[in-house]
Amino acid sequence: MTGSTVRLRPPRHRVERRAVGWWTVRAVLGAAPVLAALAAAYAVAGSTRPWSGPALVVTVLAAAGYAAVVPSWRYAVHRWEATTEAVYASSGWFVREWRVAPMSRIQTVDRVRGPLQQMFGLATVTVTTASAHGPVRLVGLDAEVAARTAEQLTELVRQTPGDAT
Amino acid sequence: MVWVDVVRSLLSLAPTGLAVGVFRVEARLSTLWPVLAVAVVGVAQAGHDLLRWAKTRYRVTGERVELRTGLLVRSHRSVRRDRIRSVTATATLRHRLAGLRVVTVGAGLPGAEGEAALRLDAVNVRTAERLRRDLLGGEPVAPPGDGAAPGDEPAERDGSPRSGSPVRDAAARGGPRDADARAGLRDADDPATDGATPSGAGARPAGAARGGGAVAGDARVLARIRWSWLVHNVVNVWAFVMAAGLLWGAYWTAGSFGFDAAGAVAELLDWRALGLGWSAVIAVAAAGVLGVAGMAVAFVAEFWDFRLTRVRTAAGSVLRTSQGLFKTREVDRDDDRLRGVEISEPVLWRWMGTADTNVITTGLTVWSMTPATIVLPRGPVRVARSVAAAVLDADPNPFEAPLRGHPPAALRRRLGWAALVVAALTGALAGLGAVLGLPRLWLAGPVSAPLVAVAAVVAYRALGHATVGDHLVVRSGLVSRSTSALRGGAVIGWQVRQSVLQRRLGLATLTATTAAGHGRYAAVDLAAADVVALAERTLPGLLAPFATAPPDQDPSLPPAHLARPAA
Repeated sequence: MTGSTVRLRPPRHRVERRAVGWWTVRAVLGAAPVLAALAAAYAVAGSTRPWSGPALVVTVLAAAGYAAVVPSWRYAVHRWEATTEAVYASSGWFVREWRVAPMSRIQTVDRVRGPLQQMFGLATVTVTTASAHGPVRLVGLDAEVAARTAEQLTELVRQTPGDAT
Repeated sequence: MVWVDVVRSLLSLAPTGLAVGVFRVEARLSTLWPVLAVAVVGVAQAGHDLLRWAKTRYRVTGERVELRTGLLVRSHRSVRRDRIRSVTATATLRHRLAGLRVVTVGAGLPGAEGEAALRLDAVNVRTAERLRRDLLGGEPVAPPGDGAAPGDEPAERDGSPRSGSPVRDAAARGGPRDADARAGLRDADDPATDGATPSGAGARPAGAARGGGAVAGDARVLARIRWSWLVHNVVNVWAFVMAAGLLWGAYWTAGSFGFDAAGAVAELLDWRALGLGWSAVIAVAAAGVLGVAGMAVAFVAEFWDFRLTRVRTAAGSVLRTSQGLFKTREVDRDDDRLRGVEISEPVLWRWMGTADTNVITTGLTVWSMTPATIVLPRGPVRVARSVAAAVLDADPNPFEAPLRGHPPAALRRRLGWAALVVAALTGALAGLGAVLGLPRLWLAGPVSAPLVAVAAVVAYRALGHATVGDHLVVRSGLVSRSTSALRGGAVIGWQVRQSVLQRRLGLATLTATTAAGHGRYAAVDLAAADVVALAERTLPGLLAPFATAPPDQDPSLPPAHLARPAA
């Protein structure tokens, strides 16, 4: 540890607490096909047991560990903020990431709600710029907050002069 | 009266295929498939070109360029003129003989690189020239005489002699841009809108106002080819690929004329007496020499009379490269879209100072085989740097400023990766050795360790960053060390990444996102504490509101920060 840290303050708003539930469900669903395949192999084809047994155990442990730790870790890291000048968000768990996009360069503001997100009453706001690598994603916002934010951002972008490139 | 202003609508394409007519079809040779294949392909292509010519129409309106084509699959493509980033005029030998040019309009969209390019194959030289000037907001030109070459459609012949005057008049008036926006598809019967803004719809109002001004033809040469650069271009892996191609072609061609090439080579030397090792050495050396010669010829043919010029136009300026012996190529790049320059130096040729130079421009794809971003052939890095400065019009030269190295922790990170690579290699070789029955194979893993360690050091030494004048300069890369200078104003967002391991080492990666080139340029593994300072020096004010005050900052700053929320 050299004591050198990134001198960025965390964005002002946390994401919705329900996002932890969403991330957990998503993690479990993501692991389910692999687990099902391994379990089927273990149950049906007896000859695969020497390797499918251990593989099953390892996968279950990894998935359980991921589902238990990562969503809360994400919740601790994920934050967002929108000022009149820029959109600022931090995300990630193993790799932390801070992203800033200035209002004058924003091209589109999208609001997306997947089926799982709808179940939890969540939404994602994606703000894109002219760079293919520059979108700022505000993940796991309360659906209403997201709608309001997207609306405000769109209005701000409309008022801010800029050529978006 | 309508005729006068219908300038460039519905021009027909002149055929390319007619110049192809060199078919060596003789009944006697019917058994020889390579020649026959050439003939069949030639005939098919000529037919295809004829069909294409018959079914292709394009037009340039005040607002967009449109192209309709296709017999079975009709396609209609239109590109807004203010989205046009580059116009390329190329010509193969057969095009040149027929006085034709292929005009490629580049108008890349973010995320859809290489899409939206529009290709007119082929138009006559004058049309190509006029398209190029008009589409890039260049000087509206009045061709001195009848601009049409024989073989062009009547529409073309009627339109082109007068094309200059209405354009210039409209430009002098400033261009009725409102009407222009409506122009859309009905320009053909609306004289007021056609050709109203030669400077590419409302993109450059200043240019439109300056319109017909006499600033044409002001070209400044930034670089010319020097044949000593040949050295940088002939010796590489592609030489062997080329040799293989040449040999393969020669073998089959010789075969079709009843000449046993393999037998001839076998009789050339007493291979058996030489043994396998020497035979291989001679074969490789011969292939290498052949390949190098081939590369040299290819290089000379491609870069013959290469010039990089900055041409002043009515609406600003363009960066123009022209090159080619048989196949000529002229590319114009709008200077308004220029965001920076990237110089990359391949690691194996760094001792020779070999470098590639590319411009960072919005809308030009960097992925094609002969990208429009190349503004200088592969050559010595000293030349590349000074040309880059001229291209950027930057003083001091961003590429000659000393770069700030990155902390030793970045070297530790790379050595860690090196250790992982060696371990993985050893493991893989051990597995392979077990399968192949070579128990000692894994030893090659540890033996490679010094080489991998050297690579880690090289990669570390490549890291650097600086802000020079208005430009952010970042350098990184092992296989190809690339230095990018990006204009500060071109940065359209910041991205800071820090993995758990980087955090332990006190490192972070700062990425500037931009609409041009690769879309992002990163200062990899710089000291985490420097991230905000570098971002602020490049583009003041974007990241600062989200920064925490540095602990050891001079005392004048914190009050300013405290004052802000109160205001």
